[in-house]
Amino acid sequence: MSEFTRQGLEPLSTIGNDTPRIDAIERVTGQAKYTRDWKLPGMLFGKVLRSPHPHARLVSIDTSQAEALPGVQAVITYENAQVVWGAGSVNGGRQYNDPTKAATIHRRYIFNNPVRFVGDSIAAVAATDRHTAEEAVSLIKVEYEELPFVLEPEEALQADAPKVYPEGNLCPDFRGEFAPMVSDIGDVEAGFSDADHIFEERYDTGFIHNAQMEPRCSLAHWQGDKLVLYTPSQGISNCRHDTARDLGLEDHQVQVIAQYMGGGFGNKNQNQDADLIAATLSRRAGVPVMLEYSRREDWLGVHGRWPTVQHYKIGVKDDGEVTAMQMVGYSGMGPYRKNSGGISGMDAYGCPNRYREISPVYTNRTTSGNFRAPSEPHGFFGIENMMDDVAYKLGIDPVEFTLKNMRRPTEERPFTNYSLDEVISDGVERFNWQARRKVVPGSDDGPIKRGAGFSFMMFRAGVGTSSAIVRVNSDQEYTLYVGVTDIGPGAKTTMGMIAAEALGTPLSNVEVVWGDTDRCPYSVGESGSRTTIMTGLAVVEAAEELKRQIADKGMPSGNDVLIGSATPTPTTDGKTRQCFGAHFVEVEVDTRVGSTKILKYTAVHESGRIINPTTARDQIRGATIQGIGQAIHEDLLYDPRSGQPLTPGYYRARHLTHKDIPDIDVHFIEVDDGYGPFGAKTAGESGIILAPAAIGNAVANAIGRRMKSMPITRDKILGAMA
Amino acid sequence: MRDKKKQGNLLDKGNDPAVKYADPKDQILNDKQQSRRDFLEGSGAAVAAGAGISAFGIPSAKAQSANSSATTAINLTVNGTRQMLEVQDRWTLAEVLRDQLDLTGTKIGCNRSECGACTVLMNGQPVYACSQLAVWADGAEIRTVEGLATNGELSPVQRAFVANNGPQCGFCTPGQLMTATALLQTNPSPSSEEVKEALVGNLCRCSNYNAIVEAVVMAGEEGGLA
Repeated sequence: MSEFTRQGLEPLSTIGNDTPRIDAIERVTGQAKYTRDWKLPGMLFGKVLRSPHPHARLVSIDTSQAEALPGVQAVITYENAQVVWGAGSVNGGRQYNDPTKAATIHRRYIFNNPVRFVGDSIAAVAATDRHTAEEAVSLIKVEYEELPFVLEPEEALQADAPKVYPEGNLCPDFRGEFAPMVSDIGDVEAGFSDADHIFEERYDTGFIHNAQMEPRCSLAHWQGDKLVLYTPSQGISNCRHDTARDLGLEDHQVQVIAQYMGGGFGNKNQNQDADLIAATLSRRAGVPVMLEYSRREDWLGVHGRWPTVQHYKIGVKDDGEVTAMQMVGYSGMGPYRKNSGGISGMDAYGCPNRYREISPVYTNRTTSGNFRAPSEPHGFFGIENMMDDVAYKLGIDPVEFTLKNMRRPTEERPFTNYSLDEVISDGVERFNWQARRKVVPGSDDGPIKRGAGFSFMMFRAGVGTSSAIVRVNSDQEYTLYVGVTDIGPGAKTTMGMIAAEALGTPLSNVEVVWGDTDRCPYSVGESGSRTTIMTGLAVVEAAEELKRQIADKGMPSGNDVLIGSATPTPTTDGKTRQCFGAHFVEVEVDTRVGSTKILKYTAVHESGRIINPTTARDQIRGATIQGIGQAIHEDLLYDPRSGQPLTPGYYRARHLTHKDIPDIDVHFIEVDDGYGPFGAKTAGESGIILAPAAIGNAVANAIGRRMKSMPITRDKILGAMA
Repeated sequence: MRDKKKQGNLLDKGNDPAVKYADPKDQILNDKQQSRRDFLEGSGAAVAAGAGISAFGIPSAKAQSANSSATTAINLTVNGTRQMLEVQDRWTLAEVLRDQLDLTGTKIGCNRSECGACTVLMNGQPVYACSQLAVWADGAEIRTVEGLATNGELSPVQRAFVANNGPQCGFCTPGQLMTATALLQTNPSPSSEEVKEALVGNLCRCSNYNAIVEAVVMAGEEGGLA
C-alpha cells in the first residue's frame, strides 16, 4: 500500500480534512452528464473528414454523393466554411492574447488547404445518425496533390527541408518575427572560462498525447442568434470568449456548458475546432449538432506534449560549483503553433550565467500543445539527467550537488517562503537514499540491476484575478457560483470547502453552481495551476463581503437574499511564490530484455496548505504515474518514408495499466505563507514534473549507462547495454 | 485489447493502423474505413494475414450502404427490466444502451477494446460493450453502472469509490466499477494484486490507479457485495 502522510499544519474546520467529492455519488452511479450524454430534440450527428497525407494540396473536392445520401443535412468544406480557429495557431503560442491572435501569420482554419498533417481537417457532415454521417464522409471525393513533408524539428531547419509554410519552418514569435526564444542571464562565456570541467550532451524526448479518456466532442445548439455550446472545456470563460471571437459574435451570445468532462490535462483550455465545426454545421442545418471525434481522430486531431531535442553544455568547478549552463533546444510543434514549445528546468538552478535558446519548429507531425506542466517534465528530464551525470562524473552525491547549486531566494528575488531544503532532506530520509543509490552506477552483479534516482523542482504558485459569487437565503443556506469545471482534480469540492471555511458553515450547507457561463462569473479555467489559488481566493473574498453584509443587515428573511461577490487582484508583494517537490525512485532493470520496474517511489511536496488531502494525494499519485508512462513507454512514432503515425491509441502508445502501477508514497510538508486561500498553493501540475527525470537518473544509476532519449524503452536500454 | 476476455468475437489485430503505412494512397483516416461493422463484415482475418484488398481490407461504404440500416428484433434484460428492441445490425451494445435506452453511464472511450470505459456485465461477465454487436446480446442479461445501487443504496464498491476518491474525471469509473463488481462476486475479499489483475483491461488516464485498487480492496474488506 502507498503511504500518505502530512506534517506542518493542523486541519481547520473544513479545510485540511479528508473530504469526499461533493459530486461523488453522481460519478459512481452513472448520473454525471458528460457532453456526449446530452440529447437534444432533432439533434444530428457530425463527423469530420481528415487528411490521409502528411502534406498535400487539395486540388478539388466533390461532395455530391455525400449530399445525396438520405439523412445527410449539411456538408461543409474548406471551400464553403472558412472559419479561423484563433486558438489553433497563435504567434508565439500566446494562447490568451487577442491582439496576438489577430496578428497571427500562420492561421489555422477549421478546414485547411493545404493539409499539413495526417489528421488535418478538410470537411464535415451532419446527418440523422452517426453511422450515416460516417458513411457520408466516406463518400466525399478529394483530389490531393501530395507535397514533400518533414517530421523532425532539427531536419526541418535545414536549408533544403520541405517547407510547411513559404516563410520556412521556424515558428514566428509573439511579435511575428522568425526568431528563437532566447534567455541570456549573466555572462555564459565567462562562466565556461571559469569552469574546471565542461560537459556537453544531447537529449531528446517524445510526443506524449494528453489522451484524456473522453474523446473530443461538442454539441452546438443555436437559439436565434445565441449559440449554446455543450463542450468538455477546461475553461468555460476562455472557451466562450474564443468561440464568440472566431464566429464574429459578442461574448454574451455564447453560452458554454461543461457540467462533467472526462479529463483534459491541458488540451481543453480554449475553444476547440470541434466547437466551431459543430456550431457551423448546426447553423447550416438549423438544428442541434453533436460532433464526435473517434479515439484515433482525438489522438491525431487534438494535441500532445511537444517532442524536443536539447543540447546542453555545463561548466563546473572541481568542487561541484556550476559556473555556466547552456541549452540550445528544438521543439516540434506540428504545423500549427498552439502553445509555447517551452523547455524548462535550468531556472531551478542558481548559477548566475545561463543561456537558453529554444526554436519552436513546424513539422508535418500532428499538432503539439499544452499537457500538464507544459514546459517542464521533458525539460527536467534533460537538465536533471545532465546534472546527475555531471555529479557522478565528479564523484559527488547528486543530492549534495543539488543542495550546492539549486536556486535559492536572494535579496533581489525573495520568495514568499522557501522549503526546498526541507523537502529534499525529508525525502532523503523517508526513501533511505544513501542505502538505495549505487555510489558506483551499474555496480550490481548479474543481469538484473537496481539503482536509485532523485530529482527536485520548484513550480509557479502565483496569485491572480478570478471571480466568485456567494448567496445566502433566509434559511441560511449558501449557494456558491464559480465558473470552474471539474476536469478531475476536484475543483468544485475544493471551492465548496473554501467557501464553507470562510463562511463558518458546514460544507453540506453550501451548494456549488459551476460549469455554465450563463450562471457563473468568470473563472480563470482549470489550467496553469490557477483554480485553487485564484478562484479560491475570490471565493474567500466573496464570502468576506457577504459576511460584512450579514453583519450590517442581519440574515435575510422571507424571499430576500444577500449576495457577496468579489474579483480580487491580489499580489505577492513582489515576492516569488513557488511550490516545491522532490521525488526519489528505485528501479530494477532487467538488462536481458531492457525492462524497467519501479520498486519504490517517494514523492515529497510542499504545496502550501492542503485544502482536501484526499484529492491532493491523488493529484500527486496520478501525475506521478502519468510521468512514469512518459518516462518509459509513451510516444507517437512516425514512419519516416510515408509520414504516417504508427502508434496512435492507448494500446500502441503503451499506456500503463493497473498491473504496471507501483505504490507511490506521498508526503506533504504544509506551510501557510500568508498568500492564496488559507495559504494554499498548487499540486495538480507539479506532480508530473519529476518522474521522467528521477526515473532516468535511477535507470542510469542501475545500469551505469546514461539514457539520453525518452521514453526509455526496452530497445533503447538493450542498445545502451550492447 | 488488454483484456482478451472482454472482447467478444473481434479479431482486433486487423484493425492495426501500423499496417496502413505501406500504402498511404489507400488510406483514409475516417472511421468509416475502420468502423466496427465494416471490420467485422470485411474480414479482418484477411488483413491480418496480409491480403491487400485495401488498406484495411474493407469493402467500400457504398457497397454496403444499401443494406446498412437492416434491423433485427432482440430481447435484452437490462438492470432487471426486460426490453424488446428493434436494433440496427450495425449498432453496438454500447450504442443501444446509450442511444436507445438512455443509459449513458456506460462510456465510450476508444470504441475498439482498448480502454474498458464501456465495460458492462453480460450474464454476469464483464464485457466491452463497444465490441459487442447488440444482436449478439439477444437474450442476454445486462447490468450497467445504473444498476449497481439497490433502492437508492450504493453498493459496497460504489461506497468505497466515494470514500477513497475512486473517480477523478470519472469517465473510466463506470467501467472500473463493473469489472470490480464482477471480481467481488467471485472473490469477495481480493488482494490488491488480484484487483490489479482483474482490472487490467480498464485504463484510467488520470492515472488514479492506486486509489481505485485501494477502493476495491476496501469494498472487499467491508464484505464484498452483500
